[in-house]
Amino acid sequence: MRRPLLIALAMLFAFAVIVLPVAAIFTRAFAEGAGVWLSAITAPETRAAIWLTILTALIVLPINIVFGLCAAWAIARFRFPGRRALLILIEIPFAISPIVAGLCFLLVYGAYGPVGAALQPYGLQLMFNLTGIVLVSLFVTCPFVVREVLPVLAVTGEDEERAALTLGASGWQIFSYVTFPNITWPLLYGAILATARAIGEFGAVSVVSGAIRGQTMTLPLQIELLYNDYNTTGAFAAATVLALLALVTLILRGLIAAFHPARGATS
Amino acid sequence: MSLRIENLSKSFDGGTSVLDDVSLTVAEGEFVALLGPSGSGKTTLLNAISGLLSPDRGRILLDGEDITHLPAGKRRFGMVFQSYALFRHMSVAQNVEFGLRVLKGAERPSKSARRARVAELLDLIEMGDLGDRYPAQLSGGQQQRVAMARALAIDPRLLLLDEPFSALDAQVRQTLRASVRELQRKVGVAAILVTHDQTEAFAIADRVAVMNEGLIDQIGSPEELRAAPATPFVRSFLEAGT
Ligand SMILES: Nc1ncnc2c1ncn2[C@@H]1O[C@H](COP(=O)(O)OP(=O)(O)OP(=O)(O)O)[C@@H](O)[C@H]1O
Ligand SMILES: [Mg+2]
Repeated sequence: MRRPLLIALAMLFAFAVIVLPVAAIFTRAFAEGAGVWLSAITAPETRAAIWLTILTALIVLPINIVFGLCAAWAIARFRFPGRRALLILIEIPFAISPIVAGLCFLLVYGAYGPVGAALQPYGLQLMFNLTGIVLVSLFVTCPFVVREVLPVLAVTGEDEERAALTLGASGWQIFSYVTFPNITWPLLYGAILATARAIGEFGAVSVVSGAIRGQTMTLPLQIELLYNDYNTTGAFAAATVLALLALVTLILRGLIAAFHPARGATS
Repeated sequence: MSLRIENLSKSFDGGTSVLDDVSLTVAEGEFVALLGPSGSGKTTLLNAISGLLSPDRGRILLDGEDITHLPAGKRRFGMVFQSYALFRHMSVAQNVEFGLRVLKGAERPSKSARRARVAELLDLIEMGDLGDRYPAQLSGGQQQRVAMARALAIDPRLLLLDEPFSALDAQVRQTLRASVRELQRKVGVAAILVTHDQTEAFAIADRVAVMNEGLIDQIGSPEELRAAPATPFVRSFLEAGT
């Protein structure tokens, strides 16, 4: 008797907290017809916001992959001073509220911060533009790849790497033939989680974006702006785009789970 | 090829020495077993020979050439690990081929030559029709033979085996022991085998080096060791093993 009750509760919860709100976005966005929806998402400002969000994600993704691989590799394979510190440091972005992270970046890299002020004479500005948005997005997303890759790297492959070394493989050959195939799935998985987060990030980006309409507004910022302008149709239409982008990452994530047994249905 | 180890010493993080002035020679085509209890430094010595670990002091000479500081990848020593360390996402054939595939420039055999060599080695270990399997689809004994074939593929100048039979049950262990020794004779390569099993060492090796806390207490043929143990440790260790 208890099992059906638990299942019903879980279903109800999922419906109330997930299905209903998401469905509401789409109903509301299409309430005035597909034509209105289309013109709302193709409005110049919204289009610019969509592009900025995708551009940011595209810049952040490869940097995340390279940094994540290097950090995970170093921590898993070498004992060096500062190793434990690096391990803790990598977790910090998850512990800090994004808005605080944004403020920290502003303090250091803004026009009145030490780095920002030093760069100003050369006409270099880091905050309130794409650079600033990319920097905070990197901060917010950098733990994902490391966290997925590190545990796998730590328990597999060291012996295989040593075998490859004695067989005459170069460092690069060891990485590409032996190590990389072992961590392809966790790497992809971490990269997708990071990308989803980069696309949806609001707090940290809102601090450093400068909110220049049509220029430094990412999609989440643009949605809030439209909503505050009482342009609810525009806001919900833009929200559907964000939801669709999230859906794509969700599908990719599901595909990986399906093809990578260790990731199974529980994750 | 003959190997000569002179006064090798190694300690970790400035602690007590794990290898303490170890000297050893292995003649051309000879099979030497390193026998000793857990923690006596057998693996450390083998890793120093393979180049995976650099010794603090001492020299390693191969046919008179000093290879102490030669990188592991340039030594061309075939190594079989206790865990076999097969590449799990490569087929058996790809595993065996690996050492040839990573060769550079003119040294690298053509694809057809590599394939022929792999087929030859798979025949040698009597696994000719299992080339397309993956390591996870093999029994322990089969994995061990693949590891052996992979090490032999690079035409090694020396064969190094770290407890290659310890993960196998007694029956398989005996058969494989004989077949490893036979392969080694056929190829004519000198070999060093690490084991803590006295029966195994005596059954397989021409000479046995008994290790105790970073020192080689005695080296000799099984008969010599049995007839005249040099130290109380050797005597008690051999007695405990029989
Ligand atoms: N990387 C390392 N750092 C510190 N100490 C080590 C390291 N590797 C080995 N040791 C120590 O050196 C000693 C010898 O280790 P080694 O692995 O050579 O022993 P072994 O004879 O192979 O033992 P076993 O039969 O258990 O494999 C041990 O006391 C071990 O704790
Ligand atoms: Mg050992």
